[in-house]
Amino acid sequence: MSAEQGNSRNKIKRLCIYALLTAVCLIIGYIESLVNFGFIAPGIKIGLANSVACLLIFSRDIKGALLVNIARILLSALLFGSPLSLVFALSGGIISLAAMIILSKCRQFSVIGVSAFGGVLHNMAQCVVGACVIGVGIFYYLPVLMISGVLSGALVGVLSGLILNRMKSENNVQ
Amino acid sequence: MKKGDIIICAVVFAVALILAVVFFFAKPEGKTLLVKADNKVIYEYPLDVDREITLEHNTAVIKDGSVFMLSADCKNQICVKSGEISKRGECIVCLPNRVILEIR
Ligand SMILES: [Zn+2]
Repeated sequence: MSAEQGNSRNKIKRLCIYALLTAVCLIIGYIESLVNFGFIAPGIKIGLANSVACLLIFSRDIKGALLVNIARILLSALLFGSPLSLVFALSGGIISLAAMIILSKCRQFSVIGVSAFGGVLHNMAQCVVGACVIGVGIFYYLPVLMISGVLSGALVGVLSGLILNRMKSENNVQ
Repeated sequence: MKKGDIIICAVVFAVALILAVVFFFAKPEGKTLLVKADNKVIYEYPLDVDREITLEHNTAVIKDGSVFMLSADCKNQICVKSGEISKRGECIVCLPNRVILEIR
């Protein structure tokens, strides 16, 4: 097999992995939408799909993290959401992903801190969008949203850490 | 788990706690209820008169100076589960119907 063939095969493999991860995200997101934490404050979720973004960021595949996350947000808005929910999801998704990518470059933070920070920024961004759509009164929920963001983000981070460890040991075996 | 992770969590908790305390204690009891739809005030009621307010998709109640959402036709029912509000600046939001009850 020539080097070029190997290269394009690798590209196809990556594309398949991204598609697979996007599908996994959508399924996780859908299952999560069945469990409603809305009685605490509007829009509270665990955000388990974000573990996929964590895995990609910590595997140093920033491009993949961006691609999968944006595809996930657009597709889930098309499948289950509305234009309004798309604006909410995009604002939260992009800001939290950007923050996570930047923070992951610092050595002081593990995947847990990165994910927790992403969760907080996700909720804060949604709070700002909410204020634009329905009024500043929504900032009343900010403390609750911040704490739920940090807790759910940390939980997702712990999960991602477990998966990352598993991935590392698998790679060593090969 | 690294030191940085703990710092992030601690800082967020501290900021959230301070915000919550400020929000809760800085607010005096309100005097009027603003009913907003699409971010525009459509009704204004004094809180000292008990009444029921029927909107297109929601029913709100003023009772003993507090306001709560009695019923709504929205799917998530978050507004109904939000409970009572009475302090200035507090609000109940019905995102699906774009209705907001705000105390002034
Ligand atoms: Zn509602």
